[in-house]
Amino acid sequence: MLIELQDVTKIYNQGQANEVKALDRINLTIPSGSLMCLRGASGSGKSTLLAVIGCVFPPTSGRATIAGKLLSRLPDRFLTMHRRQFIGFIFQQFNILPELNVLDNVTLPLLPVGISPRERRKRGLRLLEQFAIAHRRNFAANQISGGELQRVAIARALINDPPIILADEPTAHLDTRLSEEFMKIISGLKEVGKTIVITSHDPLVTENSAVERIVDIRDGRLHA
Amino acid sequence: MFKTTLERQLNILDYALSSVWRRRLKNLSVMLVFAAAIFLLASFQMTTTALNQAASSMLAKAPEITVQRISAGRQASIPLAYGEKLKAIFGIRRIVPRIWGYHFVEPNRANYTVIGLDPAAMPSGKALGLTLAKGRFFTAGQKGKAVVGQGVVKTMNLADRRNFSLFRPDLTLKPFGISGVFAPGTNLLTDDLIVTTMADARDLFRIPAGMVTDFCVYVANPAEIQTIAGKIAKRLPDTRVLTRPQIQKTYQVVFGWRSGFGSVCLLTALAAFTIFAWDKASGLSPEERREISILKILGWETADVLTVRFWEGLLVSALAFAVGCTLAWIHVVKFGAALFRPVMMGWSVISTSLHLVPDLALADFLLIFAFTVLPYLAATIIPAWRAATVPADSAIR
Amino acid sequence: MFLNSWSLALTLCSAIVFILTAIAARTAVRVLRFWDPASDDTRQIGLESETWLASTLVEYGLGFQIISLVLFALAANHFCSFLTGAMCATGALKANAYGMPTLLIKLAGVFVYGFWIVLHRLDISSESYPLVRLKYGYLVLLLPLLVGDISLQSLYIAHLKPDIVTSCCAVVFSKTASDGHNLLGSFSQASVLQSFYGTATGLAALGLFLHKRWQASLAWLYAGAWAWFLGLSLVAVIAVFSSYIYAMPFHHCPFCILKPEYSYIGFALYGTLLPAAFFGMAGAMIDPLRHRPGLAASVPNFQKMALGVSLFLLVVFVTLTSYHLLLYRLLGGES
Repeated sequence: MLIELQDVTKIYNQGQANEVKALDRINLTIPSGSLMCLRGASGSGKSTLLAVIGCVFPPTSGRATIAGKLLSRLPDRFLTMHRRQFIGFIFQQFNILPELNVLDNVTLPLLPVGISPRERRKRGLRLLEQFAIAHRRNFAANQISGGELQRVAIARALINDPPIILADEPTAHLDTRLSEEFMKIISGLKEVGKTIVITSHDPLVTENSAVERIVDIRDGRLHA
Repeated sequence: MFKTTLERQLNILDYALSSVWRRRLKNLSVMLVFAAAIFLLASFQMTTTALNQAASSMLAKAPEITVQRISAGRQASIPLAYGEKLKAIFGIRRIVPRIWGYHFVEPNRANYTVIGLDPAAMPSGKALGLTLAKGRFFTAGQKGKAVVGQGVVKTMNLADRRNFSLFRPDLTLKPFGISGVFAPGTNLLTDDLIVTTMADARDLFRIPAGMVTDFCVYVANPAEIQTIAGKIAKRLPDTRVLTRPQIQKTYQVVFGWRSGFGSVCLLTALAAFTIFAWDKASGLSPEERREISILKILGWETADVLTVRFWEGLLVSALAFAVGCTLAWIHVVKFGAALFRPVMMGWSVISTSLHLVPDLALADFLLIFAFTVLPYLAATIIPAWRAATVPADSAIR
Repeated sequence: MFLNSWSLALTLCSAIVFILTAIAARTAVRVLRFWDPASDDTRQIGLESETWLASTLVEYGLGFQIISLVLFALAANHFCSFLTGAMCATGALKANAYGMPTLLIKLAGVFVYGFWIVLHRLDISSESYPLVRLKYGYLVLLLPLLVGDISLQSLYIAHLKPDIVTSCCAVVFSKTASDGHNLLGSFSQASVLQSFYGTATGLAALGLFLHKRWQASLAWLYAGAWAWFLGLSLVAVIAVFSSYIYAMPFHHCPFCILKPEYSYIGFALYGTLLPAAFFGMAGAMIDPLRHRPGLAASVPNFQKMALGVSLFLLVVFVTLTSYHLLLYRLLGGES
């Protein structure tokens, strides 16, 4: 199992007046190479669950094993190193830095690892070519279309070749055509063995044939 | 491992450069204010250095020892006979008596320095003519002749005239003929100077016969100055014995004190700038917060973001340092430190056109760096840390 | 003599170092009191975040302390111009009883900061942060050192009187001085050179052996030899090498080589010797930590790196110091 959560609980501001239990004894296993959709309303805890799976922070209690690493109380530094290696993120509004060009945006995760400029360029261009946007490599991100932005975001998520891809409401701001295009790319990634978790309540996502499993989350608890 | 570390630093530096450029307006405002603060401090420092160096080179040819008589705590005329007593001291190369004083001219309110001595008695007496722009030095036998400085020519309107007069204490006029004018390059020493024979100076100031103002004592071995000065003081207990090193140190202390005082005043400007820098660095815009949280979630560690901030701070301060020091240099060399001259050099009717050209070493730049860049970098640490600890999960909330 | 640009800069620099370290020490005290790695509460998360601030402050502190040390040596050089009898920085430092102790405490500070950074880097290399308490306890102990630094420096500056006669470097470092401050009276050039090159060779041999096979006892010997070599090198620079750099047989000042007229070679000499000694000693000093959880790999890695750096810098240092001496001998100076 690539992602395994056992009785995972996450409490914000523990011990304080504004304490909030965002996840309550979550049990979840996600095999490698699968595509799962996490569905829930705003405030249901799905972003927190995604953050735990994404090694952004460890759970307050319970066991979370992601890509073979037990996350419990790992210092932030090691979470970051693990995340860098094993997790690729695709955000709701893509979170591309608008003033950097496309190639620089895609290769951002490679900078702190000490990859040389030549190697960075090589890897970045390879991905841009794969997603047919290499011709826009020197354009600032705020000068390209929504569809191209989407592909830049996916390319950036793949730059470290992570086995796990997490997408948070990726189609929330896309039209039908782009949403369908996005799911096509995601299916392709699943075909090559990536493990993908998407949070969404968009029918274009939840009803896509590539999605193997839908899990509902409400008030920090899972409902199958 | 070393290669990866170096590559990482270069990558982060590259990102920092692009970050500084992307926020160029904010960084430019910080850089300009910083450069202004550095300009002020650097100007002060360069002016002091230049004045110290000018004083040192000026004093290099001064007599090793000057002997004056003190009476009731003030300088009084010294008997010529004292010179005979000095001749007996081993190691003294030459003793030159001189009469000198200040002569105030009411109409143009200028104070001139009048020196009476025998030019041929000076160690480089034969070469004194080289100091003149025109004319020649008088000889001891010539009466009523004087060599004047450029400032004297200007203030007394002597450009087309060959003679001038000065009042004696009894208000009779003493005439002088101009035998020569000092070259502009000697202005530091000669601008307000009138050099004449001992007899003429004695006549002008009504100094009694057998008395002079002081003795210039030239010593064969500079290492023996202190020893010989001690012997003179012992032999002539009613005299004040000044050594050239002592005078040099006094100038340096005075300039150093003035520079220090000026620096203290400028420290308030620096403190204000540091608060400004703190404020600018602390203000994280929503875009900056978002950028940092994106970087963190993409795998940048807190240490990496801190490194970006460090390079940004260093880049801005390095640029400000370069601009500030360059402007300071231009201010001091081209404009003669116009902003600080009254503080460093005082005021007078004859203000010497001193051309300041500081000879700067690494030490001087390190001093300015310590005053300016270090406080700035220190002020940006906590804001940088606050920025670097923006949580990664804010990118997915 | 506080009203002087150099005095003000020194005071400002030391004050900044002190403030940075004091803020870091505040975090250190909080960590020592409340650190609980198993906890997920707000205070622990806040502390973890604060540890980044503390480490950044100490890293800046190291940089500023090095600048403070250099600034102090250059300031002494400046002060000598109005201290009667002082020919250079040495005379200025001997002008009162506080000069040399200030220099030595600043030098010690560089080593102490450096060692904290080594501990910190080792600590964060392990997931369990096994050195947290040791590290922050050590940080708290830094403060008295800095108080000593700033106090001695202030006393030195306050007691500088421009008209006090002081010794100049020729008096202090000449072999014929008989005032009791003659450090070099019992050493001959030949014996100093023999010790110097003998110790350097021994260090190189020991270092290469340790590189092949690390042994804790030999590592301690290596560290001790470096401490000895540090002192010996300073004596050698003063007694022998400096006079060849100055091309003046009676000029033995260790500070004039920092001046531009000697191409700032002093910075190259001290800039290799001090880090070399630091890395030479650091390897052994962290050896007791190799059995802490998570450090089984990082400690040997650091030791190997430190060994390599110390050996490389040893070669550079010996070459730099020997250059002028060899040049003089090869060009046919007296035999």
